[in-house]
Amino acid sequence: MPTLVTDHWYDFRDLSNLSRVILEGIDKVAPYELAYIVAPIIGFVAAFVIFVLPSQLFVGVYGERRIIGRMQARKGPNRVGPFGLLQPVADALKLLQKEALTPTAADKTLMWAAPVFFVAPAVLLFAVIPFGPRMVFADVPAGLIFFIAVSGLPVLAAFIAGWSSNNKYSLFGAMRIVAMSISYEVPLVLVLLCVVVFTNTMSLPGIVEFQVDSNLWLIFMQPLAFVVYFIAVSAELNRTPTDIAEAESEIVAGYLTEYSGMKWGLFYGMDIGYALAAAAFASTIFLGGWSMWGLEQWVPPWLLFIAKTHLFYFVFIWTRGTLPRLRIDQLMGFAWKFLLPLAVFNLFLVSLERLWWNESDLGGGIVFIIMAINIPASAIAVYLWARFLGYKPERIPTRPRLVREAGGYVPVEDPAAGGQ
Amino acid sequence: MSEIVQSEPFVMNIGPQHPSTHGVFRVKATVDGERVVDAEMVLGYLHRSMEKLAEERTYTQNIPFTDRTDYLSSMSNNLGYCLAVEKLAGIEVPPRGQAIRVIMAELQRLASHCMGAGAFANDTGAWQTPIMWFMREREKILDIFEMTSGARLTCNYMRIGGVAFDLPDDFEEHVRALIGPLRETIADGEGLLSGNEIFLARARNVAVIPQELAVNASLSGPMLRGSGVAWDIRKADPYCGYEQYDFDIPIGYQGDAYDRFIVRLEEMRQSLRIVEQALEALPGGPHSTEVPLALRPPAGEAYARIESPRGELGYYLVSDEGPSPYRFHIRPPSLINLSVLKEMTVGGSIADAIVALGSIDIVVGEIDR
Amino acid sequence: MTRWWTGEELAEAAERLVPGSVARSTATACILEAEHAHEALRALRDDPETNFAHLSNLCGVDQWDRFEVVYHLQSLERNQVACAKVEAFDREEPSVASVVDIWHGAWIQESETYDLFGIRFEGHPNLQRILLWDGYPGHPLRKDFLAMPGGLQPGLNEFAGTAAKPEPPVRPVT
Repeated sequence: MPTLVTDHWYDFRDLSNLSRVILEGIDKVAPYELAYIVAPIIGFVAAFVIFVLPSQLFVGVYGERRIIGRMQARKGPNRVGPFGLLQPVADALKLLQKEALTPTAADKTLMWAAPVFFVAPAVLLFAVIPFGPRMVFADVPAGLIFFIAVSGLPVLAAFIAGWSSNNKYSLFGAMRIVAMSISYEVPLVLVLLCVVVFTNTMSLPGIVEFQVDSNLWLIFMQPLAFVVYFIAVSAELNRTPTDIAEAESEIVAGYLTEYSGMKWGLFYGMDIGYALAAAAFASTIFLGGWSMWGLEQWVPPWLLFIAKTHLFYFVFIWTRGTLPRLRIDQLMGFAWKFLLPLAVFNLFLVSLERLWWNESDLGGGIVFIIMAINIPASAIAVYLWARFLGYKPERIPTRPRLVREAGGYVPVEDPAAGGQ
Repeated sequence: MSEIVQSEPFVMNIGPQHPSTHGVFRVKATVDGERVVDAEMVLGYLHRSMEKLAEERTYTQNIPFTDRTDYLSSMSNNLGYCLAVEKLAGIEVPPRGQAIRVIMAELQRLASHCMGAGAFANDTGAWQTPIMWFMREREKILDIFEMTSGARLTCNYMRIGGVAFDLPDDFEEHVRALIGPLRETIADGEGLLSGNEIFLARARNVAVIPQELAVNASLSGPMLRGSGVAWDIRKADPYCGYEQYDFDIPIGYQGDAYDRFIVRLEEMRQSLRIVEQALEALPGGPHSTEVPLALRPPAGEAYARIESPRGELGYYLVSDEGPSPYRFHIRPPSLINLSVLKEMTVGGSIADAIVALGSIDIVVGEIDR
Repeated sequence: MTRWWTGEELAEAAERLVPGSVARSTATACILEAEHAHEALRALRDDPETNFAHLSNLCGVDQWDRFEVVYHLQSLERNQVACAKVEAFDREEPSVASVVDIWHGAWIQESETYDLFGIRFEGHPNLQRILLWDGYPGHPLRKDFLAMPGGLQPGLNEFAGTAAKPEPPVRPVT
């Protein structure tokens, strides 16, 4: 792959140069083993300092509140620091000072342990995400499996939190999050299986390479997979419209009801962390990761990647600011009756196409044919399956009937039949 | 399946501290998993025994009490009480006073429905956005109240025989500046929610009240109209000259939570129409008649009711020719609308129960008094 | 416009539907005999001419010598309102028949009246205090309930401890 990135340490288009230089320097002066210890620290610090922490604080905490504020006709945080930019810091300081209450009847050990269990996987998730062509902390061959496995862990922590709080709302939240996770994990894994079948690799850098080589992002080749992934992941992350596990109007705060202070802060911060990880994962898999049809030659690829991640995250914020919340039975039904068959259909379609690709001699251009097939096929599949399930858009009145005179009863009408 | 999986109902307290009970109100819901099998309400957290207190104070001194019953629509409460006293004592209100009362009552209805519709959207999970939009408009109405009466929430503006003060000079200008943006906000809220698939899935066919039950359970206001009963006291029993104004009664289709929501939004539009007409035809003259401060109405009783934002707000007064009412009874629409809570919630899920409760649009100050 | 029935009109209708159910009538209200009240109210609801399908208001009044339960009946179709009353004379254990089986909406108002007046409604499915807590001493809206601490009766220049019980004022029967 042609790239303009040089190997000079000051070439910030690829930050792995810098870490390589540091490691080589250490290697010269220090014992051999030290480099192995320093390398993960550098990777960790780099990933956190460049991406996770700023994103979490300034996009997740500050940006989300500002954007939601814009949507809700209010200002959002604007008091602490310039434009309120120091609000996340102030929040963290406030949370640190607050008392972390533990109810008497709670299981104290588990209640304290749950936030820790919740935080740890979030840190692990970014290990396999490629930030740039060579900027991947751990190039695990089965990175996709690693990601799915690790991103399933916080559900356990949330369940521990809900169970140990000894509160009925918490228990409801815990049960709901487990039910949701079990339901939505299935279509989620199935659509990722489609990606694996199509790209022939499980490594995340490999998937990005595939998209760079074919000059087309997977979102265009597999739109259905993307849609299913987006819905499933937003359900797993408890983002509105699917935030039933901490639905504040129903069960107060779900599994977080009894949490306060920094114990709550860890949950809150890491919720954003998981959302960012999911956004990063989605932009890696479906939006071409750090690639941008040649633009990555000029703009640092890791900046492109961060931009895509935040774009994806913005969609999360957007849905949160506009959509009402579904009920749990509707959500579960949606996962099993709608997303799962679509994911299976997509897997079938993609496997056929992959077979055809292997057999045919059309070369790389075949992906454009596949795109031309898949986009209408997905739309038709969604439409037909919805019709099959009995959903048909009915004309539901958005305005009530108007009468001039009071008195008497106006018979109940079937709104589908007529009315205003 | 039920032989293998055994489940056992347990009691969950929704409230008194809960984001969706709109005050200190508690529902003891017996739930079997997510399904509500029984719902019992526990009231009285805000009980101040106003009816007893009012028996010790003069008729005029009681007006501030009525502010504090339904604190989201204090103007309407003032109005209902003043009408009852006027009916008891046979006092006529000059035309300007009546027109001012109509404008204030309709602005109050707008402010209250802003809150009601927004809070209902919040209950369905439309996280804060619609309520903030509506609150922005409600804020302007409260500014107008502050400009007129000096208070935003507990206005204490109506008096027996009229209103406390005449309107300020720039009142009309401010109200006219409010109407356009409020229409847009109503349309925005409707665009965001009314046709929304998720909102429909949450609110349609939830907490259905059939027509017979709605009438038999003495419901009133948007709850009654949502069930398709064309009943509005402003039309049926006009007070304060409502018969001069041209407006329609919105009624729902099948009596579910969604119908009550769209009825509220449409009522806001109709209220705007009334405000416009009342501003057009605002008569001159005095705003109030002279009424002795220590009013001693003749012995007797009077029941006067108005269409408050929440329904039929009635005041039943008994006089024994004393300076204070012998009996002062408020017919609270929220309380009586709540009486069907069990019918609305049992059988649905907890999420539906919250939507049902939100669609009643209760104010706990009025329920407990 | 709503037609507000006078007591005489309602008395006439009630007498026609259930003979012997009317005790007397005043300008605004019709006082029903306690033992026939339930029957008469049901008949008033069901009769097409009266058609009082909507119970607008239910409350109690303490008249010192008796308790009144006031029903404001409303017909939505015919747009008319009438006021009926039922009296209970037993000061300690006043009791009237419940109308919950006639109007579902009455149950919460009857519970409230029971809570604040102590009037028992026979046949009420779930009669318990709703605003005050169980075990609250007395029923606050009764006229002999002293509201102020220390037994001081508000509005009167005397201590309740010295005067055994305030004398009922002489009131014309309205």
